[in-house]
Amino acid sequence: MFRKFFALIILFSSISAHPVIFKNGKVFWLTQNPSFNDIRFGVSKTSNWLIGGRLLEDKKTDEAFALINNNFLAKRWNSRNSQANLYLLTSVGLNTKNSEPMGSLGIHGDWENRQIMIMQMLEYYTHNSSIVATSRIAYSPIAVDYSKLSIWLIAHYRVEYKDQKYSNMLIPVVRLFKKNYLFEFGFNGDDSFFSLMTHF
Amino acid sequence: MKHLLISFFLLGLGFSQSKVTIQDNEIEINDNEAVVEVLGMVCSMCAFGIGEGFSKTDFIDKSKFTDGVSVDIDAQYVQLGLLDSKNVNPEKIVQVIEDAGYDVNLLFILQNEKLTKLSTDKLGILQPVAFNFTSNNN
Repeated sequence: MFRKFFALIILFSSISAHPVIFKNGKVFWLTQNPSFNDIRFGVSKTSNWLIGGRLLEDKKTDEAFALINNNFLAKRWNSRNSQANLYLLTSVGLNTKNSEPMGSLGIHGDWENRQIMIMQMLEYYTHNSSIVATSRIAYSPIAVDYSKLSIWLIAHYRVEYKDQKYSNMLIPVVRLFKKNYLFEFGFNGDDSFFSLMTHF
Repeated sequence: MKHLLISFFLLGLGFSQSKVTIQDNEIEINDNEAVVEVLGMVCSMCAFGIGEGFSKTDFIDKSKFTDGVSVDIDAQYVQLGLLDSKNVNPEKIVQVIEDAGYDVNLLFILQNEKLTKLSTDKLGILQPVAFNFTSNNN
């Protein structure tokens, strides 16, 4: 069972945009998917470390969590016309209803150039002992310059392992971004995905 | 006499500008400007962070370009307007790029009619590259 699960992760694992940004940059990030409503605000204290607050609502259990979020850029490979990253992600906090402690651990890897992006993320949530793997493969038909609207077509795949059961979904997502604003929307007939992010 | 004066004026401009090459792109650089080849700058959010970083420095001439910074993601470079009164330390430019999370490969600075070219070596240290200033030549 685990072999199958990790094979899926290796094949597809997924994510979102850069978890750490420029030094002293701030990020606001709103995500909604079939499992979570997730609101984050963070400040990159350095180009390697972002700290912030996170409000996470688990839609399936109707629980909500207030968390402190730490994202660490473990390694970045900058090359001509491409970039690759490895991040370590942690959240610690409380269940807002019963004050039970809650945390999450994650690892995120990505590679991108001007028109192709591959991202993988693996997260563990302590409140329900779930493991979530998200994978993305994205393509931008046109490489546009800084001031123009950039359009990406993304295959977003998500696998959740909880209570010895798997659930998964594949959602086509459209990403639009211009300068410091990013918007994503995905829908597959059953599930929807929405994300809004800005850096400032 | 008028034409002679204009000719002298244009000749003066000629000595305070040059052309540099970044990834096969020829870029015109004027006096009090820098051109930086940035590795890893693949998206507009990357470029935004770089622009924000330079906006907080004291050596950028915000009357040039867009608040002192012009970004070309395709060609992977940023062009900076530099204040005439500041003799800019190249390390400060590199620091801003690195604080945004990216690396400098090549850096050209034209100030006081002197063109300086620096490149990052394998250890990530910025080193001057032998470079003779010639008007409108790389």
